[in-house]
Parts: sequence; C-alpha cells; structure tokens
Amino acid sequence: MTWKSQAVAIFRICYFNGWLGLRRSPIAFIALFLTPLSFLFFLYVIAPHSVLPFGVVGGIMFSALFTGNAMMNDCAYLRLERQIQQIFITSPLRPMSWILGMALSELVFTIPGLVLFFAVLFLVVPVGILTILALVGVVLLTWLMATSLGFLLSTFFRQLREIWPIGMVVFTSLSVIPPIFYPIAEIPATFRWAAFLAPSTFASQLAVRAAGLKVPIIGSAPFLSSIAFEVIGLVVLTLAFTIASMRLARWREP
Amino acid sequence: MEGLVARGVSKTYRGQRGTVRALDNVDMTIAKGRLFGFLGRNGAGKTTFIKISSALLMPTSGTVELFGLDVVRRAGEIREQIAIVPQEAKPFYHLTPREHVQEYLRVRGVSPEAAKNRADEVLTAMGLQAYQSMPAMILSGGLQQRTLVAMVLATEAPFLFLDEPTLGMDPFARRQVWEVIRQAARKGSTVLLTTHYLDEAEQLAEELAVIEGGHVLYQGSAEALKSKVRREVRIQFSGGFTAQELGRYGDVYPDRAGLTLLTTRNVVEELTQRALERRVPVNVGPVTLEEAFLTLVGRAIEDEDPEAAT
Repeated sequence: MTWKSQAVAIFRICYFNGWLGLRRSPIAFIALFLTPLSFLFFLYVIAPHSVLPFGVVGGIMFSALFTGNAMMNDCAYLRLERQIQQIFITSPLRPMSWILGMALSELVFTIPGLVLFFAVLFLVVPVGILTILALVGVVLLTWLMATSLGFLLSTFFRQLREIWPIGMVVFTSLSVIPPIFYPIAEIPATFRWAAFLAPSTFASQLAVRAAGLKVPIIGSAPFLSSIAFEVIGLVVLTLAFTIASMRLARWREP
Repeated sequence: MEGLVARGVSKTYRGQRGTVRALDNVDMTIAKGRLFGFLGRNGAGKTTFIKISSALLMPTSGTVELFGLDVVRRAGEIREQIAIVPQEAKPFYHLTPREHVQEYLRVRGVSPEAAKNRADEVLTAMGLQAYQSMPAMILSGGLQQRTLVAMVLATEAPFLFLDEPTLGMDPFARRQVWEVIRQAARKGSTVLLTTHYLDEAEQLAEELAVIEGGHVLYQGSAEALKSKVRREVRIQFSGGFTAQELGRYGDVYPDRAGLTLLTTRNVVEELTQRALERRVPVNVGPVTLEEAFLTLVGRAIEDEDPEAAT
C-alpha cells in the first residue's frame, strides 16, 4: 500500500471508529468530559476562585490524557473480546496506521469536551489566538503521548478483567495526582521537582504557561523552571512512547 | 509455487498451570489456489496453526512459508497477501454490515467505487442485503458472523484464512457462505478453512488434513480418507443395544445419541429388524467423512478435550 493509501486508511479508521461511534453513541463523549467537569465543579465550590483557571486548564489536559485510557480500553477490547483487531492487522495496513487511526478516533470522542473547556477558559482568563494555538499544540502532543502509552499497554493484556484496574492506576497517576488540576505552587518548593516524575506534568505546566497563568520556581537549577525544560520533556516523552508503541507493541503473540 | 508450506511446526504454550504442546512437528503443504479443509476437534491445534500461518503467533520451532515468504521474517509482505476470519470474532457493535465490508476494503487500499461494488456483490451473495443498514448490535449471532466472513471474502486476498467461518449459522446461511467461498477459490484465492462441520469439509474442500493432539494424522482427499474405512454402511442406534452386542457385526463407536456401528451391507436387514422389535430408532446410511474421522482419530469430532489448547 502507498503512503496515500495508508493516510486514507488512518482517516477511515478515525471515521468509522470515532465519528460513527460518537454519532451513534453520544453518551461516550458525555462520560469522557463528566469527570474533569466534576473536578472543576468541586474546585469552583471549595477552592479560592483564583485557582479556577488552573482547573479549566486541568480539564483540558485531563481530557487529552484520558484519550490514552480510552485507547487502551478500546484496543484491548477489540483485540481480546471482539477479536476484530486481528482482521485489521492481518492486512496491508501498517501497524502505525492502525495505531494512528485508533488514536485519532479517540480524539474525536474528546473534541466536544475540549471545546467546552476552551469555551470556559474564554470566560475565566483573557485568551488570544496565540494562547489557543499553543494550547492546541500541547493538547496534540499530550494526546499522542497518552494514546501511544495506552496502545502499548493494551497489547500486554491477556484478559479484559486486567484492563480496568491497570487503567485506573496508570491514568489516575498521570492525570489526578500530578499538578494537573491544581497549581504546582501548592507542592512544597523542595519537592516540586518530583512532580516531573509524572510525564503529564511537562504538558500541564506548558498548558498553564500557554494560558498565561503563573508558574513558580521549580528547583534550584534555573533550567528546571524554564519553558525549554518542559518543551524538551514533553517532546522527548512523546517520541519515546510513540517509538515504544511501534516497536514493543505485540502484533504477534509470543 | 506452493500456497503454504509448513515444516516441523511446533507450538508450546507456557502458563501458570504448566505447558501445553498445541502443535507437534506439523508438516503440511497447500497448493496455490487450493480450497483446503483443516479438520480437528476443539483444541486439536487448528487455530494455533492458523495464527502462526497468518503472522499472529510465533511458532516455538519450525517454519511456515506463504507463497515462498517466511511468515516470521517477512510478516509485512505476508500481510499484503492475506485476510483472516478469526474464530469467534465479533463485529463492531455500532457499524452496519455494509459499513464493515466497505470500510474494511477502504482500509486495505481499495478505491471507494470498487469497495462499493464489491460490498454490493458480497452482501447480496451472502444474503445480507436485507440487513445491510442495521447496526451489528441488533443482528443475530449468525448474521454477525456472516458480516465478518463477508468483510474478509470481499477482499479477494490471494490467501484466505477462514477459522470456523460458519459457526453459529443456520443450514441455509451456511450454504450461501459455501458458495461465496467456492467463488473466492474459483477467482484464484488459496483458502485454508478450519471447521468441525464434516459436511462442510466434504462439500468444500478439494483436499483436507486431519489434526489431533497437535499432530497431523492425514492429508489428502476426502474420498481417499473415506476409503480408509473398511466398512460400507453406518448404522446409528439411539440406545437399546450394547457395544458388546454390536461389536460382532463391525466397529462400534459411542456418539451423542448412542452408538454408531460401521458394518457391511449384509447385516443391515437383520439389525434394523432387531431394532424395530426393540422399538429403538436407527439411522442407516453410507459411510461419510464423519465415520472416516471417527476411524482415524478414534473419537467423534464433537468430543471436547478439556485439557487441550486451541
């Protein structure tokens, strides 16, 4: 198959798994943005209103990160329960095209929630076109990182019952515990560096900067507090997870 | 060039409860363009062989070549040539049969117009046109299975793997699917069909292999396999007789309904008369592939082996 055919295949997978899935089962996208919306609601009720913009940016990042959880669930379900992934991968379709098609289809489910959070962001902070472009860029890198990780994990499951607990542990660790919904300044200065042990922190801090919110000093080395550190971290991690998903993903059972 | 050549293929599954040898030194050759039947009981090793041959599973040892390409080392090129219906696969719940067929063809690089035409053709041939716009979630199990088979047969791939393609279908639907499989073979596809419906193998396969416990016990034509049975007549007794009593007339095997006796013509009248006296239903017919399988394997094809792998 030519590159053009592979590109068509990616968009067809996105169309039938994402767009048709969303149109025929809209409850799925409501379920996806309900969790970050609930967090935002709690912040609104219990936290000072100065924290609210962090919650909105957190909602955007949470939505992008949870595409990884959806990817892991979908791919494991299609491979183990429906076994239809086998029909697609025993074809001229390249493994990367299947991963990208599935990842794009997960993004389709997330777009309504992202639009909602971007609209709320307009209400709580002054947002210009550059802010939107920067945030979209961060969201896309985060989506690629999360879906690559989700796909990689999905290939290691042997039965469906393993998915739920592992998904909860991995994606809660990535999206709730690190400073996604709260300012990193809430972590004592001595331990702020530890937040970067979670790959999602690079993305969330970049998103916070893009939205024009304040990022405190992270550690004694000035580089740790720089935008370059966050950009390099996010790009390197995204590349690492993408390459790992291509190379380590098990297209053939051992 | 051969369609498939397997040499010394073995597969051992290692799990927490020990190891299971699913395939043991399997040699097999399938000529290009041949419609080949692979028979065996559940757990005999059919699916494992198909998974290895379609680059979905690594063999423990041995090699499989498809059209001269090694399935381990040249999986990418192999995938260009094949399509597979996995055993017990299910369609996307939200897509219709037409969307399944058309979208799968588009993903494989078929143009929109050709995909539409082929979908029209295969949906009609498989009796799915009345259901083509219904989401799979509201279709019966048999119609869902037909949808998957339609997806794969519409590809016209040079090598088609069909793992129990008619499982759960009614007899009429099975015949429709058989016709489409025959058409695929007529168009030049090599077809490897696993089944435990022996009538299906007899109707479709130009050549077949029988596998039991990971070993290939037979490869050849259905007729040659049947000729291995030295008896001409099969009488099935639904109770009323013991194996010992029937043993002096021929070979006796237990089956689901009671006992099957493979015997000669000259005792049919006597035995049916005795069955009538005992008011026992009997079924008399010529020896079929079922009896040939029973003779070769020593067990009926429906017998489950709970210890076996797939």
